[in-house]
Amino acid sequence: MEEQLKLTRSQWFKVVVALAVVLAVSACGKKKAAPPPPPPPPSAPAPTASLTANPNALNAGQATTLIWKTDYATSVTIDQLGKVDPSGSSTVTPTESTTYHLLAKNDSGTQEATARVTVMPAPAPPPAVTSDETQAQMFAQNMKDVFFDYDSYDVTQQYQQVLAADARFLKQHPNMKFTVEGHCDERGSTEYNLALGDNRANSTKQALVSLGISGDRIRTISYGKEKPFCTESTEACWAQNRRAHFVYQR
Amino acid sequence: MKRYMAIQLTLFLLFAITGAFAQDWIRTGTGLGVEKIRLAAPDFKQVTTDSGTQNLAMTFNTTLSNDLQSAGIFDMVSRSFYPLSVPGAPQEVHLSDWGSPPPSANMLAFGNLGVQAGSLNVQGWLYDTKNPQSPQVLGKQYREAATDENARLVAHRFADEIIFRLGGGIHGIAETKLYFVSSRSGTKEIWQMDYDGANQKQLTHLGDIALSPHVSPDGSRVAFSGVTKDGWQILMYSLELGRLVNFTRFGGDNYSPAWSSDGQNIAFSSSRSGNTEIYTVSSSGGNAHRLTENKGPDVSPTWNPKTNAQIAWVSGRTGLPQIYTMASDGTNVGRATDQGYAVSPSWSPNGQFLAFAWVRHYGPGAPGASDIYVMDIASKQWVQLTHDGGRNDFPSWSPDGRHIVFQSNRTGKVQIWSMLADGSETRQLTTAGENSQPNWSFK
Amino acid sequence: MAADIDIFPTEGNVRGPLIGSVALHGALFALALFGYLIPSGRGESWGGTSGGGGAMSATLVSSIPLPTPPTQTQNVLANQSKGLAQSKPKETPKEEPKAIPIPERDTKRKGPHDTTQKKPPPKEIAKAEDNKIPFGEGGPVSGPYGSFTSGSTKGGLSFTGGTGDFGSRFGWYVDGVRRKVSENWLKYEIDPNIDTARRVYIYFEIARAGQPENLRVEQSSGIPSLDQSALRALQRIDTFGPLPPEYAGRYVAVEFWFDYRR
Repeated sequence: MEEQLKLTRSQWFKVVVALAVVLAVSACGKKKAAPPPPPPPPSAPAPTASLTANPNALNAGQATTLIWKTDYATSVTIDQLGKVDPSGSSTVTPTESTTYHLLAKNDSGTQEATARVTVMPAPAPPPAVTSDETQAQMFAQNMKDVFFDYDSYDVTQQYQQVLAADARFLKQHPNMKFTVEGHCDERGSTEYNLALGDNRANSTKQALVSLGISGDRIRTISYGKEKPFCTESTEACWAQNRRAHFVYQR
Repeated sequence: MKRYMAIQLTLFLLFAITGAFAQDWIRTGTGLGVEKIRLAAPDFKQVTTDSGTQNLAMTFNTTLSNDLQSAGIFDMVSRSFYPLSVPGAPQEVHLSDWGSPPPSANMLAFGNLGVQAGSLNVQGWLYDTKNPQSPQVLGKQYREAATDENARLVAHRFADEIIFRLGGGIHGIAETKLYFVSSRSGTKEIWQMDYDGANQKQLTHLGDIALSPHVSPDGSRVAFSGVTKDGWQILMYSLELGRLVNFTRFGGDNYSPAWSSDGQNIAFSSSRSGNTEIYTVSSSGGNAHRLTENKGPDVSPTWNPKTNAQIAWVSGRTGLPQIYTMASDGTNVGRATDQGYAVSPSWSPNGQFLAFAWVRHYGPGAPGASDIYVMDIASKQWVQLTHDGGRNDFPSWSPDGRHIVFQSNRTGKVQIWSMLADGSETRQLTTAGENSQPNWSFK
Repeated sequence: MAADIDIFPTEGNVRGPLIGSVALHGALFALALFGYLIPSGRGESWGGTSGGGGAMSATLVSSIPLPTPPTQTQNVLANQSKGLAQSKPKETPKEEPKAIPIPERDTKRKGPHDTTQKKPPPKEIAKAEDNKIPFGEGGPVSGPYGSFTSGSTKGGLSFTGGTGDFGSRFGWYVDGVRRKVSENWLKYEIDPNIDTARRVYIYFEIARAGQPENLRVEQSSGIPSLDQSALRALQRIDTFGPLPPEYAGRYVAVEFWFDYRR
C-alpha cells in the first residue's frame, strides 16, 4: 500500500505538473499576458462517480486495473490509493479480496463508488509424481516373482536366473525395501500350506541374501492358500499360485 | 462225586467271610454279549399345558432325544415301539411294558416338566427295567428360569447325567463347545457353537485372517493364529472378557497353537529362525523352547492329552507332509505315517489314537480324496472313517473319546461335520458361509 | 444356580453287623496278604512283542479297538425266558464246628494260595457258547449270582443266602463293567500263534470313585501274552464310573474272566 501511495504521489506530481504545463500552455495559447481569472464556480451539481475493477476476480499474485470516473468532483479519493485524479486508472495487485472504495467530493455533496475484487487462492500446483509412486511402479515392473514346483520350496535353476536379475535391480536401488509373500496352490491343507509358503518366502529371501542383498531390506510372510492369484482348479492356475511374490514396502 | 462237591463247597464256604468291610462280588467276563444299552426316552410329560410350556417342552424333548441319540452308547428304542401311556412320575410307570417286547428296553428315561411363575421345573428319572424291586438308577430335579435357552440347558444336563451313569463314568459332551473358523462375516474369524451346532456366534473381529482356534483346557481363552502388523502371531481371545488379551509376540510367522491338557504349555510352529519349527512356550508366553530342527516345514502340533509327555506333528522333512511323534522335549522322534499326504493330527483323550487327514495317493494328476483316519499309535494299525471321496480335514476328538468333529466339502462348500469315532452317524453342523478347522473343548 | 437335586427312593439299608466272623476274617486276611501276588507293572512295550511288524507297515485291519458297537449277541430279552440262571441248585452248607451261619450279605475272599491248593480250578469248557451266563440279562437274576461249571459237575457253586445283591440291584453297573473291559481288551497283543486258550481270571476291586484297584491274575490261562493282555485291558481303564450311591460298601470285588478265541 505504501509503495502504491508513493507511486501515486509521484504520479500525482507528474500529473499535476503535466496539468500545470497544460494549463500554462493553454493559458499561454490564449492570453499570454494575464492568466485568466478562475471562472466563478457555478453552483456545481453533486458529483457522480463510478469505479470498476477489471478483472474483478483473479488469483493471488495477479494484477487488476481499477478504472474510475467522476464528474464535478473536486476531491476524489480511493481508500486504498489515497487522493486520485477525478478519473483515471490504476493497476493494483491485491493479495486478498478487497473492496475498493472511491469517494468523490465537492461543495455540493459527496458520491461513493465501490468495486470488489475477489482474490482466489492459488490453485494447487499440478501434482508432481511423488518419488514413492514411481518407485513402486518401477519395483513392480522389474521384480519378477519366483515360481515353485508342487510341494517344493527350493528355488529351481530357472528361477535362480530370475533372482539374479532381481538382485541386479535391487542393487541399483539400494533404498528400496520389500516383502516376500509365500503362496501355495489350493490343494493341500490350510496349516501345512502356511508353513510351506513360509518356507518358500524364506528360501527366496536366502537366495537374494546370498546374491548380495542386505537381509534387513527383506521382510517375509506366508499366506498359504489364503490369498490366491486365481481360483480355477486347473494345473495352470495351481502353477500360478505356487510362488514367492514381491511387494514394495513404502 | 458228591463228596468232591461237598469238600469243594465247604472249603469255599470256609472263605465266605463277612467282615466289617461289607463289599460285594461281581463275577462276569468277556463273550457274554456287550450290545449297546437299549434306552427308551419318551417325551417328558407336561404338567402345565399353556403354549409357553409347550414350546419349552418341544425344545427340551428334541434336545434330550438328540443328545441321547448321538451319545454313541445307546441303541435308542424306536418310538413306534413305545407303549401308549407315557409316564410322568414313578407311580405311573409300568416297567413290564417297557422291558418286554416290542420295546425291549434295558433302561427307561422319563419325567415331567412344567412352568410355574416364570420358572421351568423338570423332574427326570432313569429306571432299570429289569429290576422292578429297585429300578431307580437316577432321579434328578431341575429348576431354572423359563427360557428356551434353559430348556436346552436342562436337557443337556439330564442327558449328561444319564450318559455318565451308563457310559462307565465318562462325562457326556452335551454341554461342550466347538470353536471354528467361519468366513460368513466377510473375513475369516473365530466362532463358537454348541456341540450340536446350536448357538453359533462370532468371537473375533480382526478384519484380517484368523485361523487354527484352540481353546484352553479350562475354557477361559482361545488361542489362534492371526495376521497382524508383525506378521502371523499367536493371539489370545479371552472368553470371559470378550476381547483379545496380551500374549507374547515372536519373530517370524507363528501358526497352529495347541494346548497341553494341563493348561501349562502351548506348542506351536514358528519361523522365527528362518524356517518353520515346533516350539513350546508356557501358557503365559514365556520360556520358549525349540523342539525340532530340520529344513522342511513343521506345523500342526498336538499333545498327548493323557500324559502331556508326547507331541505329534506334521513335517515335510522328507517331501510330502507326514505325521511324526516325539517326546515333549523334542527327543525320540518317530514316524507314524509312511506314504501319501498326511496332515492335521489330533490325539485322542485316552492317549491311544491319532485321528488325522490322509490322502493315501497324492501327486500331480492323481487328485485323491482326503479322508479322516484313526491310527492306534502303539501298533500303527489304522482305520479309515470317511469314504465319500471329498476333502475331509482337521479332525478333533471330543473329550469323551467317542466323537470326532471335522471339516468336509462334500456338500460343495467347506462345512463342519461331526461323527462317532467309528465313522458312523455323520451330521452336518454348519451351513452359512464357509466353516473350517473345528476344535472340540476339553470339557 | 442350578437346583440339581437327587431324588432317592427311600430304602432301608440292609446291613448286619458281622462281629463273630471278624476273627476268622482277620486270620484269613493276614493269610491273603501274605500270599499276595505282586501285580505286574504297566506294560511298557505296547505292541512291541506282538506280530505288529515294523513301524512302517500300516496294515488294514477290520477291527480296531475303538468304542465301536460290538458284536450283537442273541437278544435274550426278546424271548420271555427268565434267563439261564435256574440251573444252579441251592446248596445248604454242611454243619461244621468252624462254619459260621452265613448271613445274608456275605462276601468271599479267596486267598490265591488256597485257590491253587484247595480248590481245583474251574475247567474251561470247550463249547463256551453254552455258557451263556446272563448277568443282568433275561429278567431279574434269580438265585445266587455266581455260576460256574466246574469239572464234570454241572450247576455251579452257590453262595447260600446269596452273594450279596450287587448284581441284582445294580445290573446296569455290571453291564457297564463288562462292556468297558471288553472294549479295552486288545486282542492283537496276544501271541498270534494262539488259537484258543483257557480262561484267564483276573481279580480286581472297584473303589467307590470307580477306579479299578488291586489287579491281579487270579488264575492264569497258561499263556503269558494272554494274561498280560487281560491285565493291560484293566490297567487301561481309568474308571468304571462311581459306584451307585445306594450301595453302602467301600468297594466291590470283581472276578473277571477272559475267553479268547481267535
